[in-house]
Amino acid sequence: MTKRILSTVALGLAAVLGVSACGTNANSTSAAKKTDASLTVAHSEGGKTLDPAEANDGTSDTLVIAAYDQLVTYEKKVVNGKPVAKTETIVPMLAESWKADKAGTTYTFTLRKDVTFHNGKKMTSDDVVRSFKHIADSASASFLYKMAGIVSVTANGENSVVITLKNTNHLFLQILPMYSFSIIDMDAADKAGDPKWLAKNTAGTGPYVVDSWDPATEAKLARNDKYWGTAPAIKTVNMKFIGDASNRLQLLKKGSVDLALELAPKDVETLKDSSGVVIDSRPSNKILFFAMNNKVPPFDNPKVRQAISYAIPYDKLLTDVMKGQATRMKSAVASSTPGFVTTGYTATYDLAQAKKLLAEAGLATGFSFTFTLGSGFPDWNDDAVLIQAELAKIGVTMNIQNMARAQFLEALAGKNVQSYISRWTSFVNDPGYHLGLLLTSTGTSNYANYTNPQLDALWTKAATEQDAAARNTLYEKAQLLINQDSPWAYLYEYNIVVAQRSTVDGYTSYPDALIRYAQLNKKNT
Amino acid sequence: MPFVFQRVFSMIPTLAGVVVGIFLITRVLPGDPARTLAGEQAAPSILAKLREHMGLDKPLWQQFVDYTAGLFRGDLGYAWHTGHPVAEDFATRFPATVELGIAALFIGVIAGIPLGVLSAVKHGRFIDHVTRVISLVGASMPLFWLGLLVIWLCYSQLGWAPAPVGRLGDDVQPPTHITGLYLLDSILTGDTMALGNSFAHLIWPALVLSVGAIAMISRMTRSAMLEVLGQDYIRTAHAKGLSPTTVVSVHALKNAAPAITTIVGLELGQLLGGAVITETIFSWPGIGGYVTKSIDATDYAPVQAITLLAAVIYLVVNLLVDLSQGMFDPRVRHG
Repeated sequence: MTKRILSTVALGLAAVLGVSACGTNANSTSAAKKTDASLTVAHSEGGKTLDPAEANDGTSDTLVIAAYDQLVTYEKKVVNGKPVAKTETIVPMLAESWKADKAGTTYTFTLRKDVTFHNGKKMTSDDVVRSFKHIADSASASFLYKMAGIVSVTANGENSVVITLKNTNHLFLQILPMYSFSIIDMDAADKAGDPKWLAKNTAGTGPYVVDSWDPATEAKLARNDKYWGTAPAIKTVNMKFIGDASNRLQLLKKGSVDLALELAPKDVETLKDSSGVVIDSRPSNKILFFAMNNKVPPFDNPKVRQAISYAIPYDKLLTDVMKGQATRMKSAVASSTPGFVTTGYTATYDLAQAKKLLAEAGLATGFSFTFTLGSGFPDWNDDAVLIQAELAKIGVTMNIQNMARAQFLEALAGKNVQSYISRWTSFVNDPGYHLGLLLTSTGTSNYANYTNPQLDALWTKAATEQDAAARNTLYEKAQLLINQDSPWAYLYEYNIVVAQRSTVDGYTSYPDALIRYAQLNKKNT
Repeated sequence: MPFVFQRVFSMIPTLAGVVVGIFLITRVLPGDPARTLAGEQAAPSILAKLREHMGLDKPLWQQFVDYTAGLFRGDLGYAWHTGHPVAEDFATRFPATVELGIAALFIGVIAGIPLGVLSAVKHGRFIDHVTRVISLVGASMPLFWLGLLVIWLCYSQLGWAPAPVGRLGDDVQPPTHITGLYLLDSILTGDTMALGNSFAHLIWPALVLSVGAIAMISRMTRSAMLEVLGQDYIRTAHAKGLSPTTVVSVHALKNAAPAITTIVGLELGQLLGGAVITETIFSWPGIGGYVTKSIDATDYAPVQAITLLAAVIYLVVNLLVDLSQGMFDPRVRHG
C-alpha cells in the first residue's frame, strides 16, 4: 500500500512539473529527456486501420495519435494527484494560434512554420485543407465533421487556414483535438494511388513513426527525431497484441511487458500484491446503464422505470462485479464531464421503495420482461444476473436473452429491444454531444426511445449558446429532467485501468482513454 | 493417374457448393458487418457510407457475382477488421498455422504410434492400462485449460518457456522468407539465432496442440495393431522364429498402416480446428485467431476465404490419404 501511495505521489509530482513545464506543446509531459529506452505494451487488439478518419477502435486510435498531430489539443490539469486532460481548455498544437470572428462562425488558424511530415515535406495550409476534405469524405469521421458544423475550409496563404461554420457551435473546438482530425500529408497518399493506402501507412507529423504494423502480432514505433515539439523520452515502442487477458497479466507480472491494458477487474485485484507493478486506476467518462425502452410497456410508465432503479444492487455491482474498478453513476452524463449535476437523481438500493413505486404504477403483483444481453463483456453478464435476482424479490421476472455482439448491435438499432445494458464513452467530453446522441428524441443512439420535448428544447438552445456558464445551466436543467424521468437505471462509471511496471511514468488520461506514448517515460533506464 | 484426375475433377462441384453455401450463410446470419465495424456509437449516416464502401449496398446477386469474379482473378476480397486484403493476411498467417499444425502432428505421430504399438503388444498388461489412461486424459483435456496451465507453469513459474507472444522474441529478426515456416527457413538459411528462438516459441503451443492428436493416434494405432496381431500370418511369422521386433515392426505395423494413415490425415484437419484455441492463448499469429476475429466482426471476405481454404485442405488431405492406401495395400491400388 505504501508503495502505491508513494508512486501516486511521484506521479502527481511529475504531472505538476510536466504541466508547468510545457506551455505550448501539450503533446508531451514532464521535462523528461530523450532516452534510448524502449517500452513494450500489451494491447488486447491489433487494430483495424491506420487512417485517422476511419479509426474507431482503441489500438488503431493509439497508433494514429502516435503518428499524427492535430491543429489543437487539450490543456492538462491534475486531479487527485494524477495528470488528466482539461477538456474545457483548448491549447495550440499544429496551429500556433487562432481567432474567431464576433459571430463565432469564422475561425482563422495560424499554422506553425517549423513542422515537417515524417518524409521531410513541410506542412502547409494546403495539407490542412486536404486533410479536412479527407475527413469530410470518410465513412467514420464525416459524422464529426458534420457535428462540428464545418461549411468550408480554405487556405489563406501558406500558413493560415480559414474554417467557416454553419452556426455558432461550441462543439467545433471540442472536436478538433480528436485523433480523427489529424493533419495528413495527402500528397503521400495520392502518390501511392491506392485509396486504401492510408489504412496501412501513416503520413503524419506526430512524435512517432510507425515502423511496422501487423494486426496479428505487433506494431513497432520509432521516435520521430525531427519532431517539431518536445521529443518523446521513449525511443521505441513495441505494441504487442495479446488477445487473452490472463496472458497480458502474466506478461506484466513477469516483466515481459512494461504496460498492460484491458485487464479484468479480478486480475487487477491480484496485481495489487505484485511487486514492481503499479496500478493506475482512475475515473473515466465511460458509463454503463440499464436502458428500459420508454415506448414498450410497462416501461412507458416512469414509475415502473423508477421502481427498477430502486431495485438495483449498486454496491454489489461495484464490489462484486467490478472489484472496485468503477464508481457510482449518478446522472445521465459522466461525473467528469463539465456541467455534470446529480439534481433529481434519488435512486438507491431500496426494495421497499421499489415495491411502493410498482404499486403506484398498478403493478403490485409484478410483471415480466425481456432483457437482451450483448456478448463480449463479462461484467455485463454478471450485472444482469445480480439485477435479475434482486428484481425477483419484488415480483419482477427478468428473462435474459443472450445475443452475439453483431446481432445485439443490429437489434438495438431496431429500437424495439425492451431492455438492455450498454456502455458509452463520449469522446467529446461535452454534455451537448453526449445528450444529443443518447437522449434527445432525434439522437441516433437513443435506442431506449426516450422522448421529452422540454429536453429537446433545452438541448437545441444550448447548442448555439456561446457562453459556457449559460450553456451549463441549460444542461443542468436537462439532467434534472432526465434524472426524474429515469429512462435508464444508472449502473456505474468505469475506471480506466493502466497496469504498469513501476519504472513507467507519465500516463495522462484523456476522454478517449487512449495512451499517448509521447508522454511516457521510464525511470532508471 | 486417371484416378487422380477423376478425384481432382470431382472436387469441383464440392468446392462450388462450399462457395455458394458459405456466401449465403454469412449473409443470412444476423449481424450487420458495417455496424460491427463502426461500433455501437455509429450514426446511420456513417453506416450508410460504410455499407457503400464495403459494397453491401449492392443487391445480393451482384455481391455474389463480384465475389466469384474475384475468386477467378485470385482476389479473396478485403478484410475490414484488419485493414488488409485477405490474401495478404493469409500470406503472413497461414505459414504460422501450418508450422504449428505440422509440429503438433509430428509430435502426435512420434509419440502416438509407439504408444499405440506398445499398448497393443502389451495388451491387457499394466503398460496398456497406463497408455489408455494417457490417451483418455489427452482426448478429454480442454485445450484452453491446458494452454493456460502450460503458460502459467512453464513461463510464469519455472521460466522454461519464452513469453507467449508469438513466433519469435522481441530481439530476434525473422529468417529470410522462403516458405514462411520459420523453423524450415532458418535451417535453409543457416540462421541459428532464429532457429533456436523460433523452436523455443513453437514447441510449447505445439505440445499443447498435440495432446489430442497423441491420444487419437495412439488409440487408433492400438486397435489397428490388435486386429492385425490376431491374424494367422502373425502367428506364422512368430512360428518361423522371427524376432518379436521384426514381427511387430515389419509384419504387423505395415498392415496396420492404412488405418493409422487415415487417422493421421483426419487429425491434421482436427489440428487446424484446435489451432483456433491454441493460437489465441499463445498469441500465435496464425489463421486460428484470424478466424475467430473475422467471425466476431462478421467480416464476410475472410470468413468465406477461410472456409474455402479449409475445404481445399480437407479434400487434398483426403486424396493424399486415399492414394497412400495403395502404397500399403495393393488390393486398393487404383488403375
